[in-house]
Amino acid sequence: MTQAEQKSLTQVKTMQKSMAKTQPAGRTESVAMRFLRRWGTIIVLVLAAVGFSIASPYFATASNLNNILFSMIVSALVSLGLTWVVISGSFDLSIGLTVTTSSILVAFLIPTLGPWAAIAVALVAACMIGAVNGILVTYGRLSGIVVTLGVMFVLSGINIFITGGYQVPVGYDETAFLYLGQGKLGIIGVPVLILLAVFLVALIAATRTRIGHYIAAVGDNPMAAFYSGINVYRWVILAFVLSALMSGIAGVIVTSISSSAQPVGGEGYLLEAFAAVFLGATVLGKGKPHLLGTLVGVFFLYMVDSGMNMVGFPFAARHIFQGLVLIIAVGANALLNREEVHLKFI
Amino acid sequence: MTGTALVELKNLEKEFAGTKALKGVSLSFLAGEVHGLLGENGAGKSTLIKILTGVYSPSAGEIFLEGTPVRVSNPPEAHRLGLGAVYQDAELVSSFTVGQNILLGNEPGWLRISDRAIHEEATAILAEMGIELDASRNAGTLSAAEMQLVTLATLFHRRYKLIVLDEPTARLSAAESEVLFRIIERFKKQGIAIVYISHRLKEVQEICDRATILRGGLVSGTLNRGEVTEDRVTELMVDRNRAELSTYNDGSRVRLDVLLEATNLATTNLSPLSFTIRAGEVLGITGPVGGGMEDVARALGGVVRHTGTVNLRGKAIDVSTPIAARRSGVALIPEDRRKQALFPALSVAENICLPVLNRLERFFTVRPGAMKEYADDVMDQLAVRPRNAAIQVRFFSGGNQQKVVIGKWMSAGASLYIIAEPTNGVDVGAIKEIYDIILQLAQQGAAVLLVSSSLREMLALADRVMVIHDGNRVAEAPKTNWTYDELLAVTLSGKSKTAA
Repeated sequence: MTQAEQKSLTQVKTMQKSMAKTQPAGRTESVAMRFLRRWGTIIVLVLAAVGFSIASPYFATASNLNNILFSMIVSALVSLGLTWVVISGSFDLSIGLTVTTSSILVAFLIPTLGPWAAIAVALVAACMIGAVNGILVTYGRLSGIVVTLGVMFVLSGINIFITGGYQVPVGYDETAFLYLGQGKLGIIGVPVLILLAVFLVALIAATRTRIGHYIAAVGDNPMAAFYSGINVYRWVILAFVLSALMSGIAGVIVTSISSSAQPVGGEGYLLEAFAAVFLGATVLGKGKPHLLGTLVGVFFLYMVDSGMNMVGFPFAARHIFQGLVLIIAVGANALLNREEVHLKFI
Repeated sequence: MTGTALVELKNLEKEFAGTKALKGVSLSFLAGEVHGLLGENGAGKSTLIKILTGVYSPSAGEIFLEGTPVRVSNPPEAHRLGLGAVYQDAELVSSFTVGQNILLGNEPGWLRISDRAIHEEATAILAEMGIELDASRNAGTLSAAEMQLVTLATLFHRRYKLIVLDEPTARLSAAESEVLFRIIERFKKQGIAIVYISHRLKEVQEICDRATILRGGLVSGTLNRGEVTEDRVTELMVDRNRAELSTYNDGSRVRLDVLLEATNLATTNLSPLSFTIRAGEVLGITGPVGGGMEDVARALGGVVRHTGTVNLRGKAIDVSTPIAARRSGVALIPEDRRKQALFPALSVAENICLPVLNRLERFFTVRPGAMKEYADDVMDQLAVRPRNAAIQVRFFSGGNQQKVVIGKWMSAGASLYIIAEPTNGVDVGAIKEIYDIILQLAQQGAAVLLVSSSLREMLALADRVMVIHDGNRVAEAPKTNWTYDELLAVTLSGKSKTAA
C-alpha cells in the first residue's frame, strides 16, 4: 500500500468515526429496557410458576412437569411448524386440519399397509398439502390466509368423507405403533422424546443451515432476497412443506396416543399455535418468531392451564387469562420496539 | 484506467406511448472509469439507467457487454450480467447482520451456515474496501449512509462489472460523501465502471473521469475530466429547441397580505429557514434531490419532525402532525402519488370526496348522489379524462391521477397548498393542464408552495424562486431576476452568483 493510499485510508477512518459520533445509529436504550425486552417473557413465566407452586403443593413436581410436557406435544409440533411459515412472511390456517387428515390416514392405512408404510404415506400426504399451499401462495399469487383457509375447508370435507363421520380405531395388537404415543422410557413418555428430537433437528435447520437463513431473509425482505439471487418461491414453499410435515407428525402421534383417529377437533390446535408463535416472538427479545420461543410459548400456555386447574380456577377463567397474557406480552414487546409511525394492522 | 469499453450502448431508443424518451443514444462506459451522467429532468437519464438495469426494454438499439451483444430483460438478469444499481433507499434484510447481508445468496459452504465464517469473510471484504463497519452489527441499526456502504460492499463482493449510483450523496453529509468517494476510487482500481448520476457539479468535477450530458433524449456531449465547467455543462444541458410551456405566471395573482410566515423551520436535513408567502403567490423551491427542499414540504405538511413556528394570517398554527396540518388549512400534495396520495382501488369519486365527506353527509350518512355530483363537478373543472367518477383510480394515466390528487384538495378550502414534484411521471399533454390548475389555486387567493427539481416548472409557475442546497438556502430572488442558465448554475454548484 502506498503512502498516499494509507493516508487516505486513515482519513476515511477518522471520517467514519466522526460519522459515528454525529449519527448514533440504532436505538439508545437503557440497560434495564434491554434486559426487560430480552428476559421479560421468561421472568413472567418464572413468576407464574413460583406463584402456582406456592398455591398448590402438587404443581412443582416431576410428575406434573411430565404431565404438562405430555399434554403439549401435539400443540407444540403444530406451533413449531407454523413458526416456519410465519418467519417466511405468510400464514397457514390449514395446520389444524392437516393434523386430523394425517391422523385419519394413519389409522385408516395401518390394517392394509402396516404401521411404518402408513406413517410414511401420511407424512408424504401432509407434505403434499404443504406443497399445494406453498405453490398457490407463490406461483399462484394468492394470499396465504385465503389459500390456507380454503385448504382447511377442503380438508375438513375430505376427512368426514373418508371416515363417514365416525372415529377410526387402531387395533390393540399394533403395539409397535402404539408405543410411539403411549410408550415410556424411564418416566419420560416416548412422544415427549419425539417432540424433543423434532425440535432439535428443526432448531439446527433453522439456525445452522441455509434453510433457516434463507427462509428468514425471504420473510424479512423478499425484494432484497430476490435481488441477491435467492429463489424466493422455493423457500416459501419449503416453509409451508415443513409446517405441514410437522402437523403430519403431530397427527401420527395423536392417533397413537388415543389408539384412534377422530374426524373432527383439529381446528383447536390452530388458534393455540398462533398464540404460541406470537407469544414466542417476544421470548429473548427477538421481536420475530423463532423455534425456541415458540416452544417456550407453548409451554407457557400449558403450564398456566395446568396451574390454574390445580388452584381450582374454572375452565373459562383459564381462557381469559391466556388471552390476556398473549395481548400483554405482545403489547409490551411492541412498546419496547417503538416504531416511528405504525401503519400496519395485520 | 484501462480504456476498454466495458459496456457499449448503440443507438438506444425508448418510446412511451408515442413520446420518445430516448432518440438514439450511443455511449460507452470504460472499465475502471467513473462516468458522470447529467441532464435536465426528462432528458432521458433515468430511462437510460432503467434500460441498463433491466427495468425497461429498449424499443430499438443494442447493448454490448465486453464486446458481445446482451439482452437485459429483467432486473435479476442485469444482476446476473454484473450490472447493478444502488438507489437511495438501499434494500437490505434488516434483521440480518451486516455480514449476512453482504454475503446473502453467496454464503460459504454448502448446506451448513456458519455465522463465524460469514463474518470472517465479510470483515475481509469490508477491510478490502476500506470501510470500518462491524460485520456483526444488525442492519436495522444502520444509518442511511451506512446502508449504502453495505449495499456497495455486496455489489463489490459479487464482482459486479458496472455499478450505477443514482444521486448517491443525496442523503449523505459531507464527511460521509468523502467516505463514499474513497470507496469509488477503490472500485476504479478493480476495473469496475461506475455510472454516477448527480445534480451536484462539484462532485462530478471531483470524481468523474468523463461526464456525458443528455439533452432531450440525445447525447449532447461527453466531457473529459478538466473540461467539466459550469459554463460548458450549462450550455450542453439547456435545450434551446424545447418548446417553452405556454403557461406562465405573470405575477398578477399576488396580493398584498402575507398569508404564511414560517420562522426558523428546521429538520435533520434542513438548517433553520424563514420565509413568507403572500396570498395568491407561488413560492418555488428547487435544488438537488435530497438537498433539503423536500423537507420544507414535509415539515409544513406535518409528516416529518421539525422545529420552528408557522403563522397563517398572523396566527400561529399547529403542523406537528398531518392531522393538525390539515385542520390548520394546509394541504400537502406529496411527490409520490401512488404511495402517498391515492387510493388506487377506490373510485375517482371516493378519492376526490375524501377530504370533504363531512360536507356531503346528512345524519351521519353520505347523501346518495352527492358524491357523484361533487366529483363530476371537480372532474369537469380539472378536465379529468375519462370523465367517469365510478372508475377505479388505478386505471387512469399518470397525468389524470395527478389531477385527481389535486382535485381531492381543491375544494377542501385550504389556505396553503404544498405541491411537490407535480409533474413527476405525468404525460406531456397533461402537464400544461396541471400547471393551469396550480395557478388557479393561487388565483383563488391561496398561498402555493411549489417544491420541484424541474427548473422549467419554477420559471413557469413561481413568483419567487428559492434554491436549497445541502440544507441551506443559497439563493432567493423574484423569478424575473433569474434566467434559466443562472438558475441551473446555482442549482448545480450550490453557489449563488446573483444573491438578490
